[in-house]
Amino acid sequence: MAITSPMKTPASTTLPADRDILVCIFQRGAADGLNALVPWGDVDYYNQRSTIAVPAPGSAGGAIDVDGFFGLHPALAPLKPIYDAGDLALVHATGIPHGSRSHFAAQGLVERGVDDKSGPDTGWLGRHLALSTPASNSAFRIVSISGNVPVSLMGASEPLAISNLGEFGFDQDIIDSGYPAVLTSLYRSPVPFYAPARSALAAMDELQAASISAITPDNGAVYPNNDLGNKLMQAGQLIKSSLPVEVICLDSDGWDHHESLPAYIQQSLTELADAVNAFYTDMGTQMQRITVLVHTEFGRRVAQNASIGTDHGTGGLAYLLGGGVNGGQIVSNWPGLATPNLEMGEDLKITTDLRTVLSELLTKRLGGTDTSQVFPGFAGPTAANVFLS
Amino acid sequence: MKKSPSNDLIIVLESLRNRREFLKLFAKGFGYSALASALPACGGGGGGGGNPGQSVQTAVIPQASSEYTALKRTSYGVHRDALSAIQNMGIDAYLEEQLDYTQIDDGNLEGTIQTLFPLTRQSPAQLIGGFPDNIATIAQQMTGATQYRQIFSRRQLYEVMVEFWSDHFNIHLLNGLGPTLKPEDDRQVIRTHALGNFRDLLHASAKSPAMLFYLDNFFNLASAPNENYARELMELHTLGVDGGYTETDVKEVARCFTGWSIRFPGDMSGNYGTFVFVPAVHDNNAKVVLQNTISAGGGQSDGEQVLDILATHPSTARFIATKLCRRFINDTPDQASIDAVSAAFTQSGGDIKTTLRALFATDAFRTSADQKFCRPAEYLAGLVRALAPDTPYPTDNGVLFFFAQSIMGQLPHYWPTPDGYPDKQGYWASTGGLLNRWRLSFLSFATVIPPISVFQIDYTTLLGGANTLAKIVDALTSSILMRPLSAADRSHILDWLVDEYGQAENVGLPAGTPELIAPLVAAVLVSSAYFQLR
Repeated sequence: MAITSPMKTPASTTLPADRDILVCIFQRGAADGLNALVPWGDVDYYNQRSTIAVPAPGSAGGAIDVDGFFGLHPALAPLKPIYDAGDLALVHATGIPHGSRSHFAAQGLVERGVDDKSGPDTGWLGRHLALSTPASNSAFRIVSISGNVPVSLMGASEPLAISNLGEFGFDQDIIDSGYPAVLTSLYRSPVPFYAPARSALAAMDELQAASISAITPDNGAVYPNNDLGNKLMQAGQLIKSSLPVEVICLDSDGWDHHESLPAYIQQSLTELADAVNAFYTDMGTQMQRITVLVHTEFGRRVAQNASIGTDHGTGGLAYLLGGGVNGGQIVSNWPGLATPNLEMGEDLKITTDLRTVLSELLTKRLGGTDTSQVFPGFAGPTAANVFLS
Repeated sequence: MKKSPSNDLIIVLESLRNRREFLKLFAKGFGYSALASALPACGGGGGGGGNPGQSVQTAVIPQASSEYTALKRTSYGVHRDALSAIQNMGIDAYLEEQLDYTQIDDGNLEGTIQTLFPLTRQSPAQLIGGFPDNIATIAQQMTGATQYRQIFSRRQLYEVMVEFWSDHFNIHLLNGLGPTLKPEDDRQVIRTHALGNFRDLLHASAKSPAMLFYLDNFFNLASAPNENYARELMELHTLGVDGGYTETDVKEVARCFTGWSIRFPGDMSGNYGTFVFVPAVHDNNAKVVLQNTISAGGGQSDGEQVLDILATHPSTARFIATKLCRRFINDTPDQASIDAVSAAFTQSGGDIKTTLRALFATDAFRTSADQKFCRPAEYLAGLVRALAPDTPYPTDNGVLFFFAQSIMGQLPHYWPTPDGYPDKQGYWASTGGLLNRWRLSFLSFATVIPPISVFQIDYTTLLGGANTLAKIVDALTSSILMRPLSAADRSHILDWLVDEYGQAENVGLPAGTPELIAPLVAAVLVSSAYFQLR
């Protein structure tokens, strides 16, 4: 007898017209929002951060003015043209009011889209994907560009975890040996780990058929040769391939700047802005059907500490890019940085619940999944005018 | 948490670029076609069609012996000799012997470590002399020494606990001055106390220059405290995130540790990388930590009092017990096991051996099996222990294995954040995680592929004279897996071999042929769930 070979899945190349491809970038480690989108018009910003503040526009190393009150950190200059083109919106003083200053607890809560532990233990994206009808049965519907599946995708049907597309597979002689086929037999349901195993075997076939390594950056885009640049370049390859990818998750690491924040955030923001700019350029007109979400687990303390850094805080900054974003605006409902206005007397308050933004994203850009099922118990509001419908 | 090490890591990897090319050769599976042409009368073609009507057995994975399970849970993969030993002496006596690890003869293992990985034995003052040029070498040697011990040491439980505490008190090696500091932390904190007393371990960690640097306490000043260490001390090292502390406690603990620092490069005393308490920047006012008053003027003892409060706190016992049960039993341990282990921890004053004895006595440890997916370090060491139980150390001093573990995402001391590598199978059993193991399973070809012949597999012994396809499958199941296959899986493998090689299952094969077929069968066996469960 022969062993059945891994299933070839017919790939649909387009999503329904009401669904964008979502690229979700999680800034691990609590990214500082105040030195990224600088409230240079708030005098208390300079009082609280006497030696680490970004100078006002016009000074040496000063912020790039956006609206007369906020300005971008100079390292975010590559995002300014995207903002000016109306494809980037920034939501300041945002987050989920979970009250945790633990990275690990807070990342879990934000990825689950809940404000306390009693909420569902699946991820918010996982719930969305479980509720929305798959546009294909491809193994590539949901991809984590990483060695593992993030909490946000828990609850979705078998997301792929691929850290390097170019190395995902076997040489032809191994395939010809029947080794993948016999694994397909050994990892049959309900053998432990059959689901990721079968998914990996199917993905290898699809990836081979897609000739992904032949897909190169378009429109003169140059991805920075660093971790985030490499991940976004692969996200771009997947989107431009025939694979019917719908959600891509990836991490941007290293945002926990307890010490020497000015130097480290310069490096982190440069990596972010260069990589995102390259992705935006590479995608070109396809950005009309792509939404990029960048967010973190919580913002950082308003006042600086003794190590020229900042400790864990509350309100942070989220970035939204894409043709469907109501861009060229800053959503902030600014709470102010004078000590009496701070959360617990120390932190930037959350004035826009991140779930408000995510609800609007689901409604207007991801096919209208029922937000009350994705965010059970969330009282709203469910829109902040951040997206076009 | 700490900033990203990505740039440093790139330096390390770049410095070894040539080796990487060589790894790619093996990682995609190599040279199989050369092997196939050497085989007699390949059937070719095979015949498609599949067999969708085949029935699926209900007993999915037959349980291994209790001795196998006890070994798999307390070692880096079942070694033939260890299995004989535990079968002869019984599980209790074997585990007791493992707990009394200093009495286990480990031959000249530490002498070999000294020879192959000398930087792992050096002090911060010695290592800073070659810094930063020595970063890549330190990284390789730290990994090499860890892997060497995991593969070859007879003190397997001790090495399991070394890894457990290395994760619990995780320090990222490539973090600023970390490469000069972590080797000493590994020796003086983790390896010294891994099967000792938790309070001693906690105090040693708190004063470890590597930890003081990694979690920023070296820069924790009375004028503006840095809370990083204080928070992780309670969240990750002792109480657990739900252990009953408040944000106020975090601030108070941070104040207690103000002034705990390290001597920096160029220190006048010549004692770079040692602990120092700096009274001038210590907050000498009174503090309240978890409802305990720390009196004013305590100086360095403030922090020491905090450590004692935390070490004896009931939440700490519960937290450590839960993590140990998760390591040795399953991802969601039962309350009875946690309670028993927690009680032993408390009653023994944090004695780690007593705590483990209680764990090994639980019903869950004794009667369950195959509850977890082994982590990459276990997989890699387990490959060698199963395939090549008598091999000498890799002739490339571990370079190949460095990349193998790098690809699988579990290089020792490389997890960037202070929570340590995850110990839940949901993290590791991903599509990419499985694929990487499958690629590494082709290390089974090490006998016949020169670039990776860094360890010696003796297929003649593993085969034990098997000379038909059926006998090959049975012999390698016995010698490599050391646990039974289900009838269905035996058929799947055998049907594939019959199809692939065009020989009936009971037909005698020409001399020398079984040794050529064995590597591919071995690759399949170690790629299966059988090999990766514990």
